[in-house]
Amino acid sequence: MGKDHRENRETAAAENLQAEETRRHEAAETAERTQGAESADRAEAEGRTADEEQTARKKGKKRAGKRNGRALQKFLGLMQHVALAVLVIAVCVVAGYSRIRIDMFQSTFTTGLYMYEHDREDRYEDSNMFRNLFGYVLADVVRHGVVSGQLETDGRFDGSKAIDVTAYNYRQTELPAQYVTAEYYLEDLLKWQSYGFETKSETMTAEQAAAFLAPRTRLTFAGSDNITDSEMAEYIYGTAQDDSDGFQADVSGNQLWVYMGDGKEAPGGEGTEETTDATAVATDAIAVADEPLAGVAYEALGYDGELERNNILVNRYQTTEGKNLEDYVSNWDLYYELCNQVKTAANGLAYNYREYLNFNDFYAANKTNMRYMIVQETGAQRQIFTNLTAADADNPAFAYAAELAETGVLRTEAAKNARYIYYDPSDMIYETNTRIDEEIVRQTVQEYDYAYPETTKIWVGVDTAYPVSDGFRQGYDVFSNYSPHLWQSLALALVAGILYLLIWFYLTCVTGRDRDGEGHKCIRLQPFDKAVPTEGALVLACGAVAVGIGVLVMLTEFMGVDPTSLLSLSNALLEWPRLFIGLLAVYVFAADCIAMFFYYSLVRRIKARTLWKNSYLNRLFGYAARFGWKVYDNSDIVLRTWLPYAAFVLFNIALLMFAFAHDNNGFLCLVTLFALLAVDLFVGIVLFRNAKEQQKIVEGIETIAGGQLEHQVDTSGLHGDNLTLANSVNSIGKGIQEAVEISMKDERMKADLITNVSHDIKTPLTSIINYVDLIKREQVDNEKIRSYINVLDEKSQRLKQLTDDLVEASKISSGNISLQFEKIDLTELMNQTLGEFSEKFERRRLTVVMNINVKGAVIEADSRRIWRVIENLFNNIFKYAMEGTRVYLAIDRVPDKAGYIALSVKNISETALNCDPDELTERFIRGDESRTTEGSGLGLSIAKNLTEAQKGTFEIKLDGDLFKVILTFPLAEP
Amino acid sequence: MANILICDDDREIVDAIEIYLLQEGYTIFKAYDGEQAIKVLKEQQIHLLIIDVMMPKLDGIHATLKIREYSSIPIIILSAKSEDNDKILGLNIGADDYVTKPFNPLELVARVKSNLRRYTTLGNLNVDNNALFQVGGLCIDDETKEVTVDGETVRLTPIEYNILLLLVKNCGRVFSINQIYESIWNEEAIGADNTVAVHIRHIREKIEINPKEPRYLKVVWGVGYKIEKQ
Repeated sequence: MGKDHRENRETAAAENLQAEETRRHEAAETAERTQGAESADRAEAEGRTADEEQTARKKGKKRAGKRNGRALQKFLGLMQHVALAVLVIAVCVVAGYSRIRIDMFQSTFTTGLYMYEHDREDRYEDSNMFRNLFGYVLADVVRHGVVSGQLETDGRFDGSKAIDVTAYNYRQTELPAQYVTAEYYLEDLLKWQSYGFETKSETMTAEQAAAFLAPRTRLTFAGSDNITDSEMAEYIYGTAQDDSDGFQADVSGNQLWVYMGDGKEAPGGEGTEETTDATAVATDAIAVADEPLAGVAYEALGYDGELERNNILVNRYQTTEGKNLEDYVSNWDLYYELCNQVKTAANGLAYNYREYLNFNDFYAANKTNMRYMIVQETGAQRQIFTNLTAADADNPAFAYAAELAETGVLRTEAAKNARYIYYDPSDMIYETNTRIDEEIVRQTVQEYDYAYPETTKIWVGVDTAYPVSDGFRQGYDVFSNYSPHLWQSLALALVAGILYLLIWFYLTCVTGRDRDGEGHKCIRLQPFDKAVPTEGALVLACGAVAVGIGVLVMLTEFMGVDPTSLLSLSNALLEWPRLFIGLLAVYVFAADCIAMFFYYSLVRRIKARTLWKNSYLNRLFGYAARFGWKVYDNSDIVLRTWLPYAAFVLFNIALLMFAFAHDNNGFLCLVTLFALLAVDLFVGIVLFRNAKEQQKIVEGIETIAGGQLEHQVDTSGLHGDNLTLANSVNSIGKGIQEAVEISMKDERMKADLITNVSHDIKTPLTSIINYVDLIKREQVDNEKIRSYINVLDEKSQRLKQLTDDLVEASKISSGNISLQFEKIDLTELMNQTLGEFSEKFERRRLTVVMNINVKGAVIEADSRRIWRVIENLFNNIFKYAMEGTRVYLAIDRVPDKAGYIALSVKNISETALNCDPDELTERFIRGDESRTTEGSGLGLSIAKNLTEAQKGTFEIKLDGDLFKVILTFPLAEP
Repeated sequence: MANILICDDDREIVDAIEIYLLQEGYTIFKAYDGEQAIKVLKEQQIHLLIIDVMMPKLDGIHATLKIREYSSIPIIILSAKSEDNDKILGLNIGADDYVTKPFNPLELVARVKSNLRRYTTLGNLNVDNNALFQVGGLCIDDETKEVTVDGETVRLTPIEYNILLLLVKNCGRVFSINQIYESIWNEEAIGADNTVAVHIRHIREKIEINPKEPRYLKVVWGVGYKIEKQ
């Protein structure tokens, strides 16, 4: 804004400078130009009518092309949004519907149509999904086989099964060498567990305690089925001996009753000897028994008979032998140990029992397409676990499995419409038509190897007709429904995505691009881009984003979809209804429409460079700048100078005061002072720069004033007022230069004109002179005619002189002469001149008095031109000096001008000179107004102009009749 | 006598010149443009050509150039163009003399004579004579103390003769008044004097056709005098 302002001022100044004439000249030119333009327009119009049809057709085509281009852009824009919507749908389909959640036994199994090789095949049974399902089921079956082994006898649940609690608890690991245990019926334990274990706390004396427990503990030896006397003795004493009959009676199978108390057995037993023995046994037991047992023995020895408090398990059920728990142990630690074993076993069994029931329910024949059979052969006994039913005998998928139960051999080739695994490690058989490796099956079975002896045979089959609706069926449905479309959807998503990007890129490139009337490339903004400033568009876009988010939230709430699940697509999408995905696509379409509208508007703005121009911020800056300039221009010069100065001084004072106020804080004080110094330095630099700029302008003005009109002040690096000033000076100089050039041109044209005219005059003049001369040669007797002829002769000669002088004068005044400067000795020149004029002067009795007071009066001048000056002067004297007078010639130094020399010529005029001396040097001015005497009246004018052309001055002084001419020249350098 | 061709588009000028030259006994041929002049030159034995510059069909400058391709006869250009540049141009393209309009008829006749003399007679001068000094048409025989201009004898006073001899001997060199005075009078020049200048003017009047536009004895104003090399 400031720049415009300055420019206006400049133009005004320049215009004022234009000379009146120049302006008129220009006006005429402009008028001419306008006329020319008008005629050109007319011509063009005519041409247009001639080519009208063709042009119209072309334009029509162009317009149609333009319209096509715009329609294409709009269509592509629509396609872009559609592509995005399609992309969203395709992604939802790929991410969501390709996956399924299947309820399995005891867990939920989420699987999908993976992008693996097999999932692209036609058969569901070969897919990973099926494989995973089958794997899960296989694991369930293997585990069920284990549980069934614990709870069943001959394929049925057997409640009367005797359970050795400690052995059960240690079933997965190795048993201790000796341990205490008890046997309960299975149903007793399950019932006891479901009722809960009850304990009571009793205080008893040592005697009572001893009476409560059994006198001896029954130890069970792991790893031996039948303990002989000698083995037992060897075990206890280290040597084989059979002198202790007390042991023999108490050994049954692998169990042994031993004293593990504090000698209470002695009174009712065999005596001190035995007690000693018992002690010895206990002591020895330390060496051989496991750690807990050893501890018990020590405590038993250290019993001192005090009262003790014991927790006793209430015997809700009795062992298979009809005994209580306390009847098996002889000290409290072992008692507690046994109680714990009972509880643990009961809990484990109860858990397994529940699982067993659930399994039977879940994998009941009418609820699953899966059948299994586990056959365990221990010796002649064959245990079979299966969910095969009698109805399965008719199903070709399972019928062949019955064989396994009967013969222990399976011929899987009979299977039809079935997928199966048959695993028979003892016969090294693994047969399957699934994609499950033997290794996986082996590992699964090995986890329960305590329950699966080598002879186990496992068969699992699935009816691929899927008559029952179960997990396999669900998977099958998903697979057959979506598998064929999965890849199509993925391809669609990819294509839509690429299409979107391509269109986006293309439209980003071409949007706004257009051609103007003449076919030049240009950027055409749409109404929105022009009407709404950048910030407005930004606010609208933000609003649109907010509304978009709001709508999305509302939509998800309405549809009951968790919007945060957007972030975890894989699981959440499974629950998204189709309607929601449809709505989402519509939403994305609309959102993309709006987003791209703003985006392309932004792109067009950037292309047209109106992003900043068409913004509120820019307008605000503009207003501020205009306001600033207005204030500045309207303000007084006093205000302009004093206000910044006052601000500067106040700033200084304020900072100084601040610095002194914080003089206790040295750092702050120092920083403030430095800042002050920096600011002052900056101000100083600004002032210096300003002064320098001004100096530059002043120098420029001086140069122009010195005559170098073509000089221009260099405006680079100038600012503010200085720039305005410099530009004004430049335009002034330019104006003057132009004026001078025009004037010189005019003068030259005048000289040329005079020259040409004089040529044209000379030719007829030649004839006149010649024929006058010829007449003179004829012997004319008539005196009158002779005098007439003389007048003709004289005047024709004068006319000749006049034309020559006129040409010369005009040439000199137009500067159209070239000078060859050389060193001229004025004295020599005077002598030469006097020699030339001696006779002429003598004729008029003029005496020359020469006064040469300078030696070596040498000047620089053009030899012939200086002669012309002197000749004219002397001719002037010859013509106008009074007869018989003296002519004074003098060469002097100029008194007040060193290095200058003056040549003065003085004479007495014949006629009174009543005119201004300056007028004498004007053209065609002569001393006598009558103009009857000879001479052109140009002599002095030529002399003056020539003198000035040779860097001299020419001055005429009149003092009464004294006519004085003074020429001054600079002395030539020696 | 000699055959002279006058060429000017102004018939009156041609006629006037014819009258003057007929009086001198020359045979005159007339042409009114450059082409006619060339035609006449080819048809007739012409000894001298007076030609105007500004003419229709073929101007004097171009005609001179063409004529100079095959002929060396004296050519005098007669023109209203009196600028130095015009004169220099005319002389440079091969003209022997340049006379500006309006001209003095007697001067023209003198120049015609001078040019013809030089063209016809000056080729057989005795150059063996050591005392013979020649500058263009100006000839000084120091033995006979005879001065001729274009063959015509000029009468000079002894001082004039000595000054001229000095200048001719040192042809091209500029002598100041004092130098001339000292070498002629053999005494020191005291102060300024115009004696020498007056003598020089007299010499000029005698040997030059137009003393104001001297051909031989040139004045170098403010410096001195010299004889111009031809």
